[in-house]
Amino acid sequence: MRQLLRSGARLFWRRSVDDEVDDELTEHIEMLVRRLELEGLSPEAAREAAARRFGDLTMVRNECRTLAHDVEEQMIRQDFWQQLRQDVAYGTRTLRRAPLYTIIAVLTLAIGIGASASIFSVVHAVLLRALPYRDADRVVAVWNAYRQGGTASHTAIAPAEFADVMDQNRSFDAVAAISRGAANLTGSCGGSASCEPERANGYTVSPSLFTVLGTAPALGRAFTESDGAAGAEPVALLSHSVWRRRFGGDSAVIGRGITVNGRLRTIVGVMPAEVRFPDAPIGFLRDRGDIWMPNAWQNNRGEERGNQYLGFLARMRPGTSMTEVRTDLETISTRFRAAFPDRYDPSTVSWALDAIPLREQMVGDVRRPLLIVMGAVVLLMLIACANVAHLSLARGAARRQEFAVRTALGAGRMRLVRQLLTESLMLGAMSGVLGIAIAVGSTRVLVRLDPGMIPQLDATRVNGIVLVFALLATLFCALLVGVVPALRQSMVSVHDAIRAGRGAAAQPRRRVRSVLVVAEVAMALVILVGAGLLTRSFLALQKVDQGFSTGPALTFAVTLPRARYDSAARMIAFHDRLQSELASIPGVEAVSAIDPLPLGGTSWSGTFHVEGQPTARGAEAPHGEYNVALPGFIDALQLRLVTGRDFEVTDGPGAPAVAIVDESLAAQYWPGEDPLGKRISSNGDSGPWVTVIGVVRHVHRSGPKNAGEPQIYFAYRQRVQTPLSYVLRTTVDPLSIVGAVRSQVASLDRDLPVARVASMATLESAALARDRFNALIFLVFAGTALLLAAIGLYGVMAYLVAQRQAELGLRLALGGGPGDVARLVIGDGMRMALLGIVLGTVASLALGRALDQLLYGTKPTDPVTYAVIAATLALVALLASAIPALRAMKADPVDALRA
Amino acid sequence: MPDSNRSILQGTLDLLILKTLSWGPRHGYAIARWIEETTDDVMRIEEGSLYPALYRMQKRGWIKSGWGESDIGKRIRIYSLTPAGRAELRAQSAQWDVMVKAMARVLRPA
Repeated sequence: MRQLLRSGARLFWRRSVDDEVDDELTEHIEMLVRRLELEGLSPEAAREAAARRFGDLTMVRNECRTLAHDVEEQMIRQDFWQQLRQDVAYGTRTLRRAPLYTIIAVLTLAIGIGASASIFSVVHAVLLRALPYRDADRVVAVWNAYRQGGTASHTAIAPAEFADVMDQNRSFDAVAAISRGAANLTGSCGGSASCEPERANGYTVSPSLFTVLGTAPALGRAFTESDGAAGAEPVALLSHSVWRRRFGGDSAVIGRGITVNGRLRTIVGVMPAEVRFPDAPIGFLRDRGDIWMPNAWQNNRGEERGNQYLGFLARMRPGTSMTEVRTDLETISTRFRAAFPDRYDPSTVSWALDAIPLREQMVGDVRRPLLIVMGAVVLLMLIACANVAHLSLARGAARRQEFAVRTALGAGRMRLVRQLLTESLMLGAMSGVLGIAIAVGSTRVLVRLDPGMIPQLDATRVNGIVLVFALLATLFCALLVGVVPALRQSMVSVHDAIRAGRGAAAQPRRRVRSVLVVAEVAMALVILVGAGLLTRSFLALQKVDQGFSTGPALTFAVTLPRARYDSAARMIAFHDRLQSELASIPGVEAVSAIDPLPLGGTSWSGTFHVEGQPTARGAEAPHGEYNVALPGFIDALQLRLVTGRDFEVTDGPGAPAVAIVDESLAAQYWPGEDPLGKRISSNGDSGPWVTVIGVVRHVHRSGPKNAGEPQIYFAYRQRVQTPLSYVLRTTVDPLSIVGAVRSQVASLDRDLPVARVASMATLESAALARDRFNALIFLVFAGTALLLAAIGLYGVMAYLVAQRQAELGLRLALGGGPGDVARLVIGDGMRMALLGIVLGTVASLALGRALDQLLYGTKPTDPVTYAVIAATLALVALLASAIPALRAMKADPVDALRA
Repeated sequence: MPDSNRSILQGTLDLLILKTLSWGPRHGYAIARWIEETTDDVMRIEEGSLYPALYRMQKRGWIKSGWGESDIGKRIRIYSLTPAGRAELRAQSAQWDVMVKAMARVLRPA
């Protein structure tokens, strides 16, 4: 600023300032000479004496010139601030004199700024902020990619595949494999900290994982290569939250023990609070971690390549590009295909190893919705600006005379423009402050609405960067709103304005207004269509028959630790007892257990074979969703039994192996036949075979959006495993029996954590949370946009009517009926609105494709939505022009003519 | 002007200018004349040194300048006191009094 002023001053004022100094000094000497001559000295002697008395002229002049420039700069600065003070004082008076204008303008802008800053907070937290890993930008996730048609599904990696890629790659400098599993934490805690048995999210990882990510523990040490070796001392790294929860944040925890799934491990380190790998879902690795245990996965390789259950992260060597990584993986894939033609048969689905940058992997799913919402925000903000621009134009018209008078009194055009800009900036500043308050509040609400699926949303807060964004948004709004009217005002000719007085409508002014209204209606329509489509999609999702009851029921999960439940008999015995104990709790109608729990967020699927229908070589084996369940699950979950029976207690280890399948599997493999008694196998073409004893309706296991695959239920008692989710159908509030459930479980096994306690209704709501979130945000936007567009339309119509008062009065006086006048005004308004609707429809059709991915059972071109929205907007436009029209009808022709 | 007088003059020049302007606005030449006359030429100054002092005082905000006419009708810079300058004058005069009294006490016995 200072520098700028200085160089500016140098350019424009140097000569004149220097000249003035010279003139002043010369004049002094001349006066001295004249006086000395009057005293009788000769001109030469006088000049000589004067020079002596004056001293060193050159030195004085140089010193004065330098000082004069400083003084000049100071004055320019002072003038600037003084004018600004004047402008602000004047602006304050003006704004205070028109409180309604000020309030509406500030509110409108504040809503625009608040909404955009708040959404920007989310976008910033999720998309822009760095992942909490130093090397995040060099890390990729490696998957088995199966391409079929246009889509590729990315699935987990087998240990053997991991080991081979580790040996053969040329583009990574560190690799890590990760498997997830429940971790039951029991025993030893520090002091008063909570010591309940607890089920935590555990990950068994390559010791190199945190090297790959580039994160170090906050306390203690990371894993070393030797930690993963067979026979090494069992160790664990804790998350900050487990450390706080179970050890009260005691830094002496390093070297102490923690019992994980019945096995005592030594704690070697605690990770920083912001690192709970995976901090956002990486494919099937979804939940944020609580505890990590080392395992050198490459040593577990075996040759079973079908057993794919590992996540695979790799850090690229510095300077390696994604293209090089993909080429490298393709080379390895080619080798795999050659070495294991059965496994990676090229004739079925096209298989290859694929790498995806970690950031894309973590935020990929939410990028599009967030960018769409951001687009809606920008539109909303433009509408808000357009509205305030209207208001300013109307105000400007009212103030034409004031400005004309000020011009006549000598105010320069720039001075007036500056005055208007100052007023706009003052509006902007007030709106900015209010907008930031709105942003802080609504960001909090947004975070609370979090469906729990948007990575890093919980870390969202309005921070410095967001404030800068809000500030820029404010400035943008203020300038946009200020510049247009300012430019127009400066074009006012003094003569015209004073002579015209009030009531004159300049034609170009009207056109600008009409353009603003049309644009506003069009933008509002785009937002409304978005909201409408998402709402319809949400409603469609809610109507989906998911195949099971979401009525009152409590669900929870237990995972039996292998260490203590080391045989099928022990596991079955435990579940038998628990099932009957739980059934005795008052208010419980039915109890059973299943895994995976529908809507529980986990999945399990695999290939199967149908007896008598061998899979041809090279063809794809049938694929379906697997489940295991306890007897009574059909009743507890209220599945619909189509034919056959539920599992019985007698379907145990010794009895013939049985299964229940869903309708779609039966229809697909035994069309027109009785499925009961048919046999399937999950092991291979040659059995062992499992007999179908029942058929149920298909269940939407992972939420209404995803129909899923054919389903098979095995009897738990014939196919035990450690995790199982209980479902208790109740006649009372499901959450009211949580205490009783916990104590029943504890009475059977004091160390067994009860995990994921939730009512079925909560699970259902969570399954739709993302869609509800999207629809809700858009609805809020749409409501605001509609309101703002209505205000804008009304404002313009009211203004136009006021402008045409004389003309309308004349019409009335000449015998035009009030109806004609109303028709005229409403016709004007509707013409603009309809043009806006048409343009908005075209824009929406063009932009709608972006929404396609977010919609369920609704086309982006859904005619119903478009019709309803267009009709709504037209109705709003009608109302907005009808009110001024009514006023015009009531106008007294005489008044109108005199005006 | 002997060199020994110079340093005292430099320190008091500001005060003299402020005092001069307290009687009303005037241009640089008039200030020089007023100082010459009222001090009976005891404090005769190199008149050129007046100007850097004037500009410096403008920069400090003690005086401000405008435009007027000289005795032969030429456009000339006129200096006048600002409120800050008036306050400065009061402060400096008081200081001067204190110093003069102190000096007098020190020098009298000799």
